Amino acid sequence: MKVREKNWIRFRMYLVAVFFLVGLGIILARAYQLQVLQKDKLTTMARVGYRDTIKLPPKRGTIYDREGHELAVSIEVDSIYAHPNHVKNKPETARQLSKILSMNRGNILKDLKKKRSFVWIARKISPEKGSQIKALKLAGIGFTKESRRYYPGREIGAHLIGFSGEDNQGLEGLERKYDRLLKGPERTLVQMRDALGRPFFISREVSHGDEMHNLILTIDKDIQYKAQESLKAAVKKTKAKSGQCIVINPETGEVLAMAVVPLFNPNVFKKHRPFQWRNRIITDVYEPGSAVKPFLLAAALDRNIVTPNTKFYCEDGKYRVANHTIHDTKKHDYLSAAEIVAFSSNIGAVKIGKRVGYETFTAYLKKFGFGEKTGIELLGERTGFIRPAKSAKEIDKANIYFGQGMSASSIQLAMAMGAIANGGNLMRPFVVKTITDQRGSVVKENHPTVIRRVIPPKIARKVKRVLERVVIEGTGPEAAISGFRVAGKTGTSQKVDPKTKKYSKKNYVALFVGFVPAEKPKLVIMISVDEPKGDPYGGLVAGPVFREVGGWTLNHLRINPQLRLVKEEPPGLSDVRRQIIEPEPVVSIKVPGQLPDFKGQSMREVLKGGRSLGLEVILEGTGLAIKQAPRPGSPLKKVTKVRIQFSPPM
Amino acid sequence: MFDRRLLQNFDWILLLILVLIGTVSVLNLYSATFPLKQIGSSQIFVKQIYWFLIGFAVLLIMTTFDYHLLETLAYPIYIFALVLLILVLLLGDVRSGSQRWLSLGGLSFQPSELAKIAVVIVLAKFFDEHGQVDEYGLRELWQPFLLTAMPAVLILREPDLGTALCLTVVSFSILLFVKIKWKSLLILILISLSTAPLIWHFLLKEYQRNRILIFIDPDKDPLGAGYHINQSKIAIGSGLFWGKGFLKGTQTRLHFLPEQHTDFAFSVFAEEWGFIGSLSLLLLYLFLMLWGINIAKNSKDKFGAIIALGILAIVFWQLVINVSMVTGLLPVVGIPLVMVSYGGSSIVMTMAGMGLLMNISMRRFMFQ
Repeated sequence: MKVREKNWIRFRMYLVAVFFLVGLGIILARAYQLQVLQKDKLTTMARVGYRDTIKLPPKRGTIYDREGHELAVSIEVDSIYAHPNHVKNKPETARQLSKILSMNRGNILKDLKKKRSFVWIARKISPEKGSQIKALKLAGIGFTKESRRYYPGREIGAHLIGFSGEDNQGLEGLERKYDRLLKGPERTLVQMRDALGRPFFISREVSHGDEMHNLILTIDKDIQYKAQESLKAAVKKTKAKSGQCIVINPETGEVLAMAVVPLFNPNVFKKHRPFQWRNRIITDVYEPGSAVKPFLLAAALDRNIVTPNTKFYCEDGKYRVANHTIHDTKKHDYLSAAEIVAFSSNIGAVKIGKRVGYETFTAYLKKFGFGEKTGIELLGERTGFIRPAKSAKEIDKANIYFGQGMSASSIQLAMAMGAIANGGNLMRPFVVKTITDQRGSVVKENHPTVIRRVIPPKIARKVKRVLERVVIEGTGPEAAISGFRVAGKTGTSQKVDPKTKKYSKKNYVALFVGFVPAEKPKLVIMISVDEPKGDPYGGLVAGPVFREVGGWTLNHLRINPQLRLVKEEPPGLSDVRRQIIEPEPVVSIKVPGQLPDFKGQSMREVLKGGRSLGLEVILEGTGLAIKQAPRPGSPLKKVTKVRIQFSPPM
Repeated sequence: MFDRRLLQNFDWILLLILVLIGTVSVLNLYSATFPLKQIGSSQIFVKQIYWFLIGFAVLLIMTTFDYHLLETLAYPIYIFALVLLILVLLLGDVRSGSQRWLSLGGLSFQPSELAKIAVVIVLAKFFDEHGQVDEYGLRELWQPFLLTAMPAVLILREPDLGTALCLTVVSFSILLFVKIKWKSLLILILISLSTAPLIWHFLLKEYQRNRILIFIDPDKDPLGAGYHINQSKIAIGSGLFWGKGFLKGTQTRLHFLPEQHTDFAFSVFAEEWGFIGSLSLLLLYLFLMLWGINIAKNSKDKFGAIIALGILAIVFWQLVINVSMVTGLLPVVGIPLVMVSYGGSSIVMTMAGMGLLMNISMRRFMFQ
């Protein structure tokens, strides 16, 4: 070969080498672009390609009462789904499923024929149905556990607790208010697919982040139950539309019970109408009527305008103000300020009020918490209404002294009365005592909060003494509890007829708000009954409920009857909070000497109850007690062991 | 005939590179066909091992004779290849819509693989014989053009767009190497461009046209014609820098990749071994190329140099077209990843080519 040609070839070789380098460089750059630069986009696409996720409703934390009884729990139930393209005999599968689930066969078949890799057949089914279907071993039918909300106490505290929906989202009450905290981590069913969309692997995945929390309420399940039952009985007896009852610890603002009648069962909340879900205690306002008179007296005493003994002429039951006649139920001539409250004289109240003045009185009402939210941690609270002095007419300025022309909620009345009970502090009411995480450690604890000092203790004490006279000699004798000093105020407020826009002669709200024991109040109880038939007087309608709930609760809290002359109790016991927290054995309907009925109780409750009777308890199954042997009511002497069957509640 | 010096000059480095690439191929095929176990296709990687063994045997055979023998055998080989290409159109097996295989007593064979090497040899002979010309013009080039076009058209009829394309660019590469007049080059390019619409309408099948259209806009039909390339990009991209690990590629496991043991073998490899893997594999090829150029440069005559370069061009273009295709740089034309994809004819013929390269390498110091 010629040298020239040799060199030529050598040169070309280098050219070819460069060419190769460039070619490989281009594809390498492309690989770099795909694998390093666009990585996020393509990896997500890869994941989306082979994974399907089906969201499962998150589990929710438990809601307990102050003593650890479960008020709202999450239970695991079966849900069934199908992989339609794995189902072999579709009509037959649909037939068998429809038989057990009592669902429409055509609908199931339609689902099975869907060109999807996953369809739900039925969610949250009962364990029996679940095991029946499992036993069939149908091809392409799968099971997963889902959690479902269950309220073991049914109606107990329903208006306060609220409920959560099909997807375990809080819809009402505390369930809604604390939805974010109660809700556990989002759970997903992950399904891997191959390129033809055939699922081949299903796993559960739990996202991290959201932690499930439990709520421990200030509510006492037993007091709540008692309040509901007594209120229900009173509403039934008086054929009233509805009723409200709150029990509050005046020293702390803790709500011990919050009952609204008619009741509803949150397990089947859809069977009730939405207005029945409303927690009227905080969402409904009405004219408080004579129940404001204690606050008028407090204002007058605090301003040194009157003393309890200051006499007023009560016009023999008829008093004309600004072309309106104000009536009293009973005719009085002269009454002291204390008697005006005790006998609930409207005319007397107007006369005291005239001395106090509209602006001063409304200022006191506001100090007592009217016209503003109490700050309770519940949704939908209303402020009520106090007419500003500017827009108040002459008659409005008279009516307000006996509670007309303004509005308030039951919780406001209870808290205002609490301020008199505890010596002058307006407390913030609260229903959630602590929030705990899954390990049980406290995440948040609510402490008693004083919103403001309304009146000095001396004035509070004077008002208290006057309020005792309401029960002793005045309008509220039905509220008296034997062995305890009770203070309180009745109220019978006319409702405005929506048609005539005037005060109705027939429709009233009957109220009683009071506290016990008067000398060292442990409970403020507020009862209101809406539109009772027959005698509408607050003392008559609401007073007995106060007596019943108050008497029972004092006993439940082991607060001993005290007579006026008895010495102060030892300091260790005087602490209300400690007394209230003191654990109580579970009380079911117990007749001494007879085996109690355990039905509906949790395992823990059954064990506790059974052992406290010295019985050997044999537990079968899980869930709540459904059957027991021997029968309830068997004489305890003969029984040494009791066998109890449990079943998960539906 | 066999010279002891030949053994001394045996190119161990070239053999090592080939063994390394062969190992990658077998491992990758094991992974690519792993999910197919239940239907018995896991035999594929075993078969590939056999093909490589046969390939290495062929490689050794190709080193035993002096490559100048090919000068005399060039046209017979070429004509043999043409006959086979015609036979395949007449008698070949139809598999997934194309007629590329000739069956011979249980063994099937793609004549197009032989045709590539035959064209390289015949072109080498032509340019060696017409070596006196400094720059080739069109007048001299009608012959090489015809030599390329005949097999290319036959291959295109199979249809096998990828191989036809590859054959054409290989010839073109050789043409560039032997020095062509700029004017002639320009005219050639113009001619090929002007025939493009003709090829589009008359030679390409519907699906091939679709693939090219999809290449222009891959998201046009992501579940239909664009599916392959999208899935391939997803697989490669999801390998990230370090890869998902051997047998851990989700796209591969779940069969999202089409033809994952043949045309899309690179996607499988890139998904499992990441960018590091892609880089290593491409470097291995680059080393092979550079080593081959060194052989070509040191070959003692033009005939050897052109054959060496032609063989390298076959490997290079197959590699570049395949990787460009699976990474979405070129339309999906159906070219396997040379020496990594599954395929007996391809392996054996590539190894035969490598044997020729080795042959040239071993005889660089010998004089006739």
